[in-house]
Amino acid sequence: MAKKVVTVIKLAIQAGKANPAPPIGPALGQHGVNIMMFCKEYNAKTADQTGTVIPVEISVFEDRSFTFVLKTPPASVLIQKAAGIDKGSGEPNKKKVGSITRDQLKEIAEKKMPDLNANDVEAAMKIVEGTARNMGVTVTS
Amino acid sequence: MASSWWEIQVLGDPAAEEAIFWRLDAFGARGVSSERRNFGLLVTTYLPQFQVEQLDLAALALLLKQDMLCAGLPVPAVQWHLIEEEDWSSTWKQHWEPQEIGDRFLINPAWIAPPEQTDRLVLLLDPGVAFGTGAHPTTQLCLEALEMRLGEPDSATNAVVADIGCGSGILSIGAILLGARQVYAVDVDPLAVGATEVSRELNHINPEQLVVAEGSVERVACLVAEPVDGIVCNILAEVIVDLIPGLEAIAQPNTWAIFSGILLDQVKAVADTLEDNGWFVAALWRNGEWCCLNVRRSP
Repeated sequence: MAKKVVTVIKLAIQAGKANPAPPIGPALGQHGVNIMMFCKEYNAKTADQTGTVIPVEISVFEDRSFTFVLKTPPASVLIQKAAGIDKGSGEPNKKKVGSITRDQLKEIAEKKMPDLNANDVEAAMKIVEGTARNMGVTVTS
Repeated sequence: MASSWWEIQVLGDPAAEEAIFWRLDAFGARGVSSERRNFGLLVTTYLPQFQVEQLDLAALALLLKQDMLCAGLPVPAVQWHLIEEEDWSSTWKQHWEPQEIGDRFLINPAWIAPPEQTDRLVLLLDPGVAFGTGAHPTTQLCLEALEMRLGEPDSATNAVVADIGCGSGILSIGAILLGARQVYAVDVDPLAVGATEVSRELNHINPEQLVVAEGSVERVACLVAEPVDGIVCNILAEVIVDLIPGLEAIAQPNTWAIFSGILLDQVKAVADTLEDNGWFVAALWRNGEWCCLNVRRSP
């Protein structure tokens, strides 16, 4: 039907665990979006990935109906997985908590490419490397 | 349970989204939302009031600034304030209320009891994942056009209608409430197919009277035994133009059709394509910037 998008909201939330609490409730409620219906649909589509953050991009139309597409996990989640760590460093400048290889960095960048604000893989690698640095994860050659 | 939440907003460069997410996640946020704004990307997260102090939030702002400086990105604007907890599972419903459309319809949200006495046709809807809540001009135009086509008892009694791009199923149900004998509703979006099935159940319509399927015109052609009496198609102009040549497969000389989802400046292209394919434009209705074409197969 005639779909004119009013706004696009991206949520980074735990797969299979969407509920009306923040951030979902306030983010969608202000646009009159049926929150319970969104949670039900999102949880159904991500139930097999519980334990991972699966971002979702929600397009809200003029008549307050909506649709959504699932996105790739955040770079920090992929970096943690590649480095084999549970969390990043609280003091990334002083304390390094792990490392990933440049090949792993490229692999993450390629996986994230469709969702990043980057024109090519090199630019995507730069973004992912910045996140790794902030997490206290070094990139080795 | 927390009674207040810190709403933390970070307005930064879109390229910083991943880094902002990580910093907020590391700070203990249980999810973030982000929305493009004129001046960048607004990332918002929430934390229960008891979980953090003002000083923690000030430290978070400094860390975010440090992150961006290290990444060579503009320093973000960070602000926070307290919001009261609400029942977010139901407050969104404040945006919805029963709505009269045309001369005959009352679109009633499913959670609101319909009026006991009304001379309107009550169409129950649980608005959500499919277009067609009744709030959009194109849906309103199509329902009004259906009133015109099926408004007279004689014209509706035996009518078989195809709803191409059914969305929530609002037009299919509208046609049945007006008296159509049979409606075939199709949509390429599986979410819309599910939504129409839910709407069908809400309105206590027999699945044999409202047949719902995933697909487009070719799916209707497989479902129907003979050409339909009416077609309603509320999609977008570009899609309608592509669909028009295929409609011949389900049309007969007396078939009428309603096309909407067309912006004013797109009308000519759609009307030209219709006429090139043997349809006659009988009337153009307008609501704001949106239009609806009422057409016939025969002059």
